[in-house]
Parts: sequence; C-alpha cells; structure tokens
Amino acid sequence: MTATVGPREIMAVALARLLRDGETVFHGVASPLPMVATLLAQRLHAPNLIYLNITGSVDPRPTQLPVSTVDPRLLAGTRALVTLTDLFDLAARGRLDTAFLSGVQIDGAGRINMSVIGDFARPKVRLPGGAGSAALMPSARRTILWRTKHDPRTFVERLDFVTATGNVSHVVTPLCVFARRDGHLAVESIHPGVDRASLRAATGFPIAVTDETPVTPPPTAQELALLTAIDPERVSDSEFAKATGGG
Amino acid sequence: MRDKRTTIADAIALVPDGARVALGGNTLHRGPGAAVHELVRQGKRGLEVVKTAGAYDIDLLCGTGVAASASVGFVGFETVFGMAPSYRRAVETGAVEAKEHACYTVIAGLRAAIQGVPFMPIAGMTGSDVPAARGFHRLADPYTGAEVVVIPALVPDVAIVHVHESDAQGNARVLGTRFEDVLMVQAARRVILTAERIVDGASFEASPESVAIAGFMVDAVVEAPGGAWPTSCAGLYDYDAAYLAEYVAASRDETSFRRFVEERVLATEPVLVSV
Repeated sequence: MTATVGPREIMAVALARLLRDGETVFHGVASPLPMVATLLAQRLHAPNLIYLNITGSVDPRPTQLPVSTVDPRLLAGTRALVTLTDLFDLAARGRLDTAFLSGVQIDGAGRINMSVIGDFARPKVRLPGGAGSAALMPSARRTILWRTKHDPRTFVERLDFVTATGNVSHVVTPLCVFARRDGHLAVESIHPGVDRASLRAATGFPIAVTDETPVTPPPTAQELALLTAIDPERVSDSEFAKATGGG
Repeated sequence: MRDKRTTIADAIALVPDGARVALGGNTLHRGPGAAVHELVRQGKRGLEVVKTAGAYDIDLLCGTGVAASASVGFVGFETVFGMAPSYRRAVETGAVEAKEHACYTVIAGLRAAIQGVPFMPIAGMTGSDVPAARGFHRLADPYTGAEVVVIPALVPDVAIVHVHESDAQGNARVLGTRFEDVLMVQAARRVILTAERIVDGASFEASPESVAIAGFMVDAVVEAPGGAWPTSCAGLYDYDAAYLAEYVAASRDETSFRRFVEERVLATEPVLVSV
C-alpha cells in the first residue's frame, strides 16, 4: 500500500508526535486536525492520554469522524460527560495540560488574532472570534497552535488585534514546526521537500533557517496506516478548504 | 404547576425589541432554529444575542437586522462551511456591534447572573486585547493583591433553548451535550423551550436526575418537532448540510441573502420542518 503524504499527513502526524502519554488534551470547535492527531497519538505512543473536547466527551472512540468538532458523533464511546464550563474550569485551576488553538494571524511571539483585520470597532474583515483562546492560552499548561495556511498574511510581524497570548509551546504549519524559545517562535524543523528560501519568504517575521535546520522526519508507514484507519473519509481535508481558525 | 404549552408565535411574542436573548446549542448543533425563524418572521429589532459559539442562528439574526449586537466567542460554520458571511457583513458595515467574548467570559457572565452577584473573576485573559476592547475591568484580589479580570453579570432577558423532551410545565430532558443551555436557563429572566416532543411529566419521576431543566424556571413550552433544524439534534437528526450550503452561498451577497430569507425562511411554515 502506498499512502500519499501531503500537508494533511505531515501536519496530523507532527501534531500527534507533540502529545505526551498521560496528559490531558483539549480541542474546541473547527478543529479536525487536532481531533485526528489526538486519536492518532492515543493509538501510537500515548495510550493513557486523556482526550477531552468541546462536546464534553472523555476518551471517545468515534466510529465516524465528524467535520464539525462539536458534533454528537464525538460522544461515541464516552463513559462520562462533562461540560464546556467544566473544561474551562479545569484549565483555570491548572489541570489542563495541552490546549489546541489556532489563529488567523500569528506573530513571532506566538500570539494570535482571531478577531479582526483592521480597526476593532469598524473592521475591514470581521473574523470568527477567538472562541475560548483568551481564557485558555494563559491558563492551559501549554498550547499547541496549528494553522493550515503558511503565508506572510498569516505569520505576521504585527497582529491587527491580540485575541490571545499565553503558554504556546509549538506551532505546526504546512511548511514547518515552530517551537517557542525565549518568547519567540523558532523553526524547530522544516517539512520534507520544503525549500528554505520559500519558508523564509512565507513568514512575515524574521526566522533563522539554515542548512543545519533539521527536517521533520517523514510520517512512518505505521503512522500513515493508523491515520488512514482513524480518518478514512479524510475529514481533516476540510481544514485546507475552509481554514476559519478554530479553538 | 401551570400548563405552559403555547404556540411558537405566542412564545416568541414574549421577546421584546431590544432584549438580550441567549440562544442554546453550539455552532451546528441543537440551536433553536424554529424559534430563530420566528424571531425573523415577527420582525424583531435591536436584540443582543448571546452564545458561546454560534453559526446559522447568529448569522441569520445579524443579516436580517433582528440583532443589533452579538455577545459571542465564535461565529462561524467551522470547517464545514467556513466563515459566517452575514455576520461579517453586518459587523463590517456597522449594522451590528460585535461584543467580542472568550467563550469562558460568556460563561462567567452567566454565572454571575445565576449567583446574583455583579461580576465574576476569571482566570486567564492576560495579554489579550479583549478586556480593553470590551471594557472588562481588572481588580486587585483584596486578599493577595494579585490582579484578576472581572466579567460583568450577563443577564439574558430571554433564554431560548431547544430540548429533546419537555412536559407541559417545562421540566425538560436533553440528550447528549447540554452546552451552556442550563446556565442560560438559570441566568435568564424568562425562558422559552422548544421541544421535539411534549411528554407526560410522570415519565420523569423514575429518574428525575436525568432532567436537565427544572420547569419552575420555564415560562413557555412549544412543541416543535425538528425545532433545531437546520442544526443537528443528537440522536434524532444531523445538521442539514444541503440547506446550510445553499444558505452560506446565498449569504455571500446582500441581494441573494434577502431573496433566500424571503423564499426559504419567511415563506416556510413555523416549525414542523420535515427532517
């Protein structure tokens, strides 16, 4: 069997590899890639990871993955049901290990904008809003950002509005994985086949990319096979067609 | 307790222009679709709509001029259909004020309302432009001096929630995720329930713990099978992807949006939408 490796596969696997066994992980609305990545991590190296999401289900075993990540399909297999309030409270008291969030704009400090392009009161573009991010980003022990677009309009020098900032550890994009070090995003690895000059040109803030910058290890056959088993209908493709930002 | 059953028209007549209205459900799921259509049909004006994460309901109410402001954490059709076109246009033209919230700040405001206190301290929010943009104050903790953001009480004049089963008194069961519905019911001055079916409340006596909403907090109950349409209702029906795709496509342009509302929202029968 030969599986195609594109941005979906690279991103889902890169996100999954960042998750740790035994930790509590949460995603909100509009988050198919985090949903798939969390289920993948549970099947790989993190069987004791606790998978929480906005439906309130705990370690669901969905038989059919939804495109909407607050869909009742994400209740399948759960043995308890908590509320969104419970999940925010969990983060507020320091007991949520990892939150997945996204931004329509992301700056070099890993801050996000999900609110407006232009002036807040009379915006040029009104964006969906940050969902829970302003509360979650500073209170979750760490935040992993993901974004399916990597261009200078997304990765910007200056945000139009700071919707949220906080404990960002990594940012996963179709071109690279950023890690946040000393308050700044640095390229941790560049995805296979991505040209270094293109990555620099696609990023609106200065980044150091050299010949020594590691290449993201390509997904293994096992990772790809499990990804296909978990998401046979490729619901995570929707993130590349309708990238609203989620959280 | 009195019999609160009524028609969708009489229930929605309880909503005055300018009211703050909390809507149950979340994005594409168990929104009070039939009630939202009735708000449009009755030509309400000046509403402040409240929800953590909305989609069709918030978008339609903003596009039709029913809502003047939206206190929400997220408005969009997720990665299913993308951004909310009418909400965008209404905010960008200044017709609707986006009262930006983090979802947790909506919850904090509702909790303050529930507890009868003027505001609620909330964790997080540090480094965000949202508190300044919205006038959310910071206070010093009187015990430690540490700063905390406080969210003003958010008291809905009316909460509208769609449930699976209600009795005539408004005792109601919700299957699956309850979202922020119970908070909204507790926080609001008046509560309207639409229900997939009205049942004999005696059937709840064997397991009252399965009842999400206590009827003494409810003002009106409407039997509305398919009342969450075009959003989903867990265990009963999925969201109507074909309808929502048409809606989002039509909403990209003001003229086609108006035509869609005339033909598909105003011209349809109240509730009893086939699902």
